[in-house]
Amino acid sequence: MKLTALIIEDEKNIRDFISTSLSTQNYKAVTAFTGTEGLSLFTSIQPDIVLLDLGLPDLDGIQLIQKIREWSSTPIIVISARTRERDKVLALDTGADDYIVKPFGSKELFARMRTALRHSNRLNTTSPLYNRPYHAKDLTIDFERHLVTLGEKEIHLTQVEFKIVALLARNSGKVMTYDNIMSEIWGPYTDTNNRILRVNMANIRRKMEENPGEPVYILTEIGIGYRMLEDDISG
Amino acid sequence: MKKKIKLHLKYFLLTLSLMVSGTALSFLLFSYQSFNTGNIALIYILMLILIVWFTEGCFYWIFAATFAVICINYLFTYPFRELNFTLAGYPLSFLFMFTIIAITSAAVRSIKRQGIILQEREQALAAAEKEKMRANLLRAVSHDLRTPLTSIIGASASYLENESSLASDSKRELVSHIYEDSNWLLHMVENLLSVTRLNSGGTSITTSLEPVEEVLSEAISRVRKRLPDLNIQVHIPDDLLIIPMDAMLIEQVIINLVENAAIHGGNEKTIECRIEDSDSNVIFRVRDHGTGIPKEKLDSIFDGTSSSSSQTDGSRGMGIGLSICKTIISAHRGTIEALNHSDGAEFYFTLPKKEL
Repeated sequence: MKLTALIIEDEKNIRDFISTSLSTQNYKAVTAFTGTEGLSLFTSIQPDIVLLDLGLPDLDGIQLIQKIREWSSTPIIVISARTRERDKVLALDTGADDYIVKPFGSKELFARMRTALRHSNRLNTTSPLYNRPYHAKDLTIDFERHLVTLGEKEIHLTQVEFKIVALLARNSGKVMTYDNIMSEIWGPYTDTNNRILRVNMANIRRKMEENPGEPVYILTEIGIGYRMLEDDISG
Repeated sequence: MKKKIKLHLKYFLLTLSLMVSGTALSFLLFSYQSFNTGNIALIYILMLILIVWFTEGCFYWIFAATFAVICINYLFTYPFRELNFTLAGYPLSFLFMFTIIAITSAAVRSIKRQGIILQEREQALAAAEKEKMRANLLRAVSHDLRTPLTSIIGASASYLENESSLASDSKRELVSHIYEDSNWLLHMVENLLSVTRLNSGGTSITTSLEPVEEVLSEAISRVRKRLPDLNIQVHIPDDLLIIPMDAMLIEQVIINLVENAAIHGGNEKTIECRIEDSDSNVIFRVRDHGTGIPKEKLDSIFDGTSSSSSQTDGSRGMGIGLSICKTIISAHRGTIEALNHSDGAEFYFTLPKKEL
């Protein structure tokens, strides 16, 4: 079955390039010039995924995300030329699933789209899919038994460290903002200072990564948050 | 106007309070330790010098000096509580006191004026330096942008014009040239973008506390994306170091230094990136095992001028990249240096641990 992707982007050249490369990947691409057009197309065709440019001629992309999120959890990937961390964090915290900065290669785009689509099927937290262990490269995380193993070796994490790793693993492949992680682990009313998270992350990396200077499993998105390596089996 | 009145009121109150406290101090010392009048006069002179230093205009010190003279006469010389200016030598002492204060006041005013002139001169110098840097940057940019653009326009034009007659190999080659050169352009644009993050000329930046290892590893992973075959070794200290910086800018500096090492290192040996902890600084080192830096270039390597003149047309200049590194590190109040070691070149920069 072909998946439908809605591309909301005002630059003709970029829209053409995206829809051409998507059609080679067995997607059906539908395009919209403006935010209003995009919104009405969204309601009429019910796409499986939305690719959204933030700088639209009529309304701001952030508003569009808000409107879509009022009633739909369809994955949204923001495609933007804005490079400031603030804009990315705002888009993610408003409800976008991921962002990708212009310019980007088609390979990267497809990978992000696959991740976003996978997560949209996993929203049900009691499903067996959600609780099955995470596995990537040598790392295995058993959520039910609170067990983290690297190859044959068991890794001893503190309570909080395990919570952070588990949260990232359940959302593997997806960037989690600092605020998002902070409120999931320490509750919604924690300090805005994320130092405690950064310190915990440094400890986790020293236990889990072969060279903490070049982490493989948990990657940093500077100024935004962390992204865990995509789960192997879920693909 | 209102501001001026406020200022004068401030000066007046300051003068008054200094004189009153001087009198109180004198009174205390005079009654407890039988201080002589000469020392009392010294206390007043001290207060007068303070007044001269902290106020502007001669009105205040003249007023204060008169006040002092009357006080000394009335309170601290026999007969007490009585004004008597006819005592022997008195007019002379007052004359001396006035002269001392007048000379001090003139000296202070000239010191203040010199300070202002010095400050202005420094500002002018800094502005000229900034202007020079900007001009260098623009020159380097227009040269370095033109080279990849020429190749992109040329390759795409020849593809469009000769599409039917070209062999598929040469088509592929043309397109891959376009791809490479556009990536190079992107690299340059990212560098220029980072300059716009420096507010008005690179004097102030917005910093936040960031773990240095995260910034380094993010930079390395971005370099790896662009140059997958590169041999890089990363070493970080055992302790977590969190220091204030603009992480995006520092990331850009590391990327520039590592790519510089990759391009100019001259071979495919390992590039080492290392973070070291020293007392008040964190040191980042990028070390290659290539041909090293020519001696005559060492001094001017961060100026942004070295790219166009001495280079063969084929290779890419790092002129902009390094001058941007310098600008970014200076804005962080750090230092950046280049040196040759026994087996290649090393670039290192330091960042202060304390908040700017």
